[in-house]
Amino acid sequence: MRILVKFLKNILLFFLALFFLSPIYIIIANSFKNRQELYENVLALPESFSFQYYVEAMDKMNFLSALGNSLYITTFSVLFIVVLSSMTAWMLARTNNKLSNIIFMTFIATMLIPFQTLMMPLMQLMGSITNTLHIPMFNTREGLIFMHVGFSSSISVFLYHGFVKSIPITLEEAATIDGASKFGVFWKIIFPMLKPITVTVMILNVINIWNDYLLPSLTLTDTGLRTIPLSTFYFFGEFTIKWNLAMAGLMLTIIPVVIFYALAQKHIIKGIGEGAVK
Amino acid sequence: MKFKTRTLGSLLIIALLLILAACSGNGNEENGEEKAEGSGKTSNQKITIFQSKVEISDQLEALAKEYKEETGVEVEVWGTTGDDYFQQLQIRLNSDQGPSIFSVQNVTEAERLESYVYDMSDEDYVKHIAPGMELKNNDKIVGVPYGVEGFGLVYNKDLISPEDVADYESFVSTLEKLKADGINGLGLAKDAYFLIGHISNYPFSLQEDHYEFIDKLTAGEVTMAETAEFKEFGKFMEAIKLNTPSPLDVTYDEEIGDFAAGKSAMIHQGNWAYGMLSDFDIDFEMGMLPFPLMGNDKMAVGVGSNWSINGKKDEEEVKAANDFLNWLSTSETGHRYIVEEFGFVPALTNIDSGDLDPLSQDVLDASNSGETIPWAQSYYPANLVPNDFTPAAQEFFLSKDMTGEELIEKLDAAWKNAVK
Amino acid sequence: MAKKKNMAWYILFTAPLLLIFITVVIIPFLMGIYYSFFQWDGIGANPKVFVGLDNFIHLFGDTRFFKSAWITTLFTILAVISVNLVGLTFALLVTSKLRTANAARTMVFMPYLIGGLILGYIWQFVFSDVFKLIGVVTGLEDVFFNWLMDPSYALYALVFVFTWQMAGYVMIIYIAGIQGIPNDVIEASEIDGANRWQKLRNIIFPLLMPAFTISLFLTLSSAFKIYDVNLSLTGGGPANSTEMFAMNIYNEIFGYGNYGFGQAKAIIFFFIVAAITLTQVYITKKREVEM
Repeated sequence: MRILVKFLKNILLFFLALFFLSPIYIIIANSFKNRQELYENVLALPESFSFQYYVEAMDKMNFLSALGNSLYITTFSVLFIVVLSSMTAWMLARTNNKLSNIIFMTFIATMLIPFQTLMMPLMQLMGSITNTLHIPMFNTREGLIFMHVGFSSSISVFLYHGFVKSIPITLEEAATIDGASKFGVFWKIIFPMLKPITVTVMILNVINIWNDYLLPSLTLTDTGLRTIPLSTFYFFGEFTIKWNLAMAGLMLTIIPVVIFYALAQKHIIKGIGEGAVK
Repeated sequence: MKFKTRTLGSLLIIALLLILAACSGNGNEENGEEKAEGSGKTSNQKITIFQSKVEISDQLEALAKEYKEETGVEVEVWGTTGDDYFQQLQIRLNSDQGPSIFSVQNVTEAERLESYVYDMSDEDYVKHIAPGMELKNNDKIVGVPYGVEGFGLVYNKDLISPEDVADYESFVSTLEKLKADGINGLGLAKDAYFLIGHISNYPFSLQEDHYEFIDKLTAGEVTMAETAEFKEFGKFMEAIKLNTPSPLDVTYDEEIGDFAAGKSAMIHQGNWAYGMLSDFDIDFEMGMLPFPLMGNDKMAVGVGSNWSINGKKDEEEVKAANDFLNWLSTSETGHRYIVEEFGFVPALTNIDSGDLDPLSQDVLDASNSGETIPWAQSYYPANLVPNDFTPAAQEFFLSKDMTGEELIEKLDAAWKNAVK
Repeated sequence: MAKKKNMAWYILFTAPLLLIFITVVIIPFLMGIYYSFFQWDGIGANPKVFVGLDNFIHLFGDTRFFKSAWITTLFTILAVISVNLVGLTFALLVTSKLRTANAARTMVFMPYLIGGLILGYIWQFVFSDVFKLIGVVTGLEDVFFNWLMDPSYALYALVFVFTWQMAGYVMIIYIAGIQGIPNDVIEASEIDGANRWQKLRNIIFPLLMPAFTISLFLTLSSAFKIYDVNLSLTGGGPANSTEMFAMNIYNEIFGYGNYGFGQAKAIIFFFIVAAITLTQVYITKKREVEM
């Protein structure tokens, strides 16, 4: 009986996964087809698996430079986000007063604002910061990192806040009595315990920032600063899309993230074996 | 023990972050200063170009390189994805990050950007613009056309001859005959401009003065429903709906593919479609015919986009931008790029067009003979086509019993909504 | 003294992020509110005319906006339910010790990595060709046809694709939640003879409350803001039947060039939704089990 249930579960999982993957099959298959083949049958396997479109896409995208930019921007944005928002969330969760509540609710509420309504005033503000304070917000990767941190802060604080609450407060109190500073308590005791959620926050932000098109397109104009999604613009014509190149470009964009995810998810799941943190 | 290594690790990360933040901050400022100094000292003012036609991005970047070799002036070309071009331009202009040269599609856009577009009426290069093709705002010339484009019935010469589609009666009977043979008489596609945008031009363009007509329409003095050209346009659309498969299911790729495969005898497209058609193996000859609304025999020819200069930039940059446009429209290299690399049908009188593809050749022939009707869409309210006309057209094609007359009424309502 | 010191720590921990957050999000948002009192076409050099509350009053006559707000609400409700149902099911499946679990986890998450135009194209194709094919093969042509061609089914198509995209996302949040449940609690319940369902209902679900709060709110906020998928899959069509709220605002601001009016719409809808969702968050937060 148990084996049967397990078998059925596996089968169910298999079909669901198939459903989740089939559109991805379409992307991969069509990254190898020319327009005629694509028109004739989108579902069929390509006639040949030559990597010419990948080579062409890499060449046009200036792939290595774009990869470098994307890595730099994503890495530092996520590092800042993890450090700053975990600290903030912990303080907000542990200091139970009106101010904390207001700050927290503000963070959450802003998650409901569509970016499309913010982008124009944001760019105006960044323009005046650039012109009056002479801090270059445009056309620098650091300026973009700054904005990414700002936009990701709500969701990250929100995620951390929920999980901080599930950590027994007694641990901290004990440490405080032992004379540890707040800084020490946080980094020595709390932060290690937040590991599963830290990995989650990292995964979600890495993906969002890595794939983001709109914000970098508004702030980075220098050709040499283009991120990977920005550099695929060549394939999306006014009316015509070069599907094979666009899909090859898409695969090139997501492969690094897939690798990252595959590595990172082990850390969430490992928790099962360890379990000791609690 | 475990805790200790972790703490150490996290502290290291923080330290690293701080150092990096400090470093990158410094680096920036230096860069910034360098740039500022650089632009101050040299007279070779750098210019930037932001334009909507992705298809020529590559070639434009190559052109920028050649320009730098010839004149020493650096030209930076920004990337774009056609669709959100105008919004991006708008945002950049608003935050003082505008380019020196940008593209403007039509009169409506030029009007909105009135305070930015530089008046180039007195510049030398505008003399070469083919008559009537310049972009004007209040009688001032504010844009140099990219090139001439035209749209109409792109037809398979094996299946259609010009007299088959000379007026409403022959058009309908051709569609019916083809339908009986299992061939799609006229292919449209679901994209806003291919569904209704381009084809909706004809009843406007056939007015004696389409500018005046549009102004009257906006003011509510006339309606489409009471105008003869629109009445017949409604009949045409009804015939298309009745005799061809629904275009709402058809992507641009499929529309072109069906034509290339001989499954469609005609498609309503422009000469730009040849770029895509050339990706297919095609074993028939093709050409472009005027759309026979009210027996019309003139091709709809207009300008896809124009080069304009950002007049808000300082004098030096405006001058550098003028120099660039002048070079583009008069130098041999510039001409070679326009015709050969960009593949435009030139809208400048001082350029000989080279070997053109069959569709562009038909457009050029029409343009040279002067037998053309204008693009009324250049004067449509901004974004009327995607925002208002398209939903109306979708409703029309979805509903089995909505008549052409009702479609025109919907278009009237759509127009009202767009100008309210 | 201690209070002062605590305050200093408080500021030290929260100020850096708050500073960035305020610059990037709050000030632009306030600027948007400011613009909602003006008639302006969104071009910097063009005149801004102060119109007071006119934009807000004008709003009540905009039927397309109300229609769009209603569709967005409907979409959000359906999407929140289906995304969380699928996501949670997956999370429970892949955290049980199954051989396929590891691979499944990665696969389910893959869709979230794909965004924009390509996603829309792929699904347009799935609906127009694959669905039709399934319909013909199985004879269920009433269910499997091109959903994008039907004004009411197009909305379900959006829910469908949105679920496909987001389920992996909430799955990892639920996984993190499930991982956080101490093993001894579950073991203890097993010793007490709890069956599968009792275990789920009495142990796992209550302890998953934080993950529920988060996932519900996350799906809610992203469903409510949906734009990319909307644009690339249906473009708001057919016949405006799927013009979601973000797209309606975007069209108003950038399409029609009514910047102030668009901002007024954004603000009204924001306050309504914020009021509802913050109440929801507040309530679920209260129900979370404090450890």
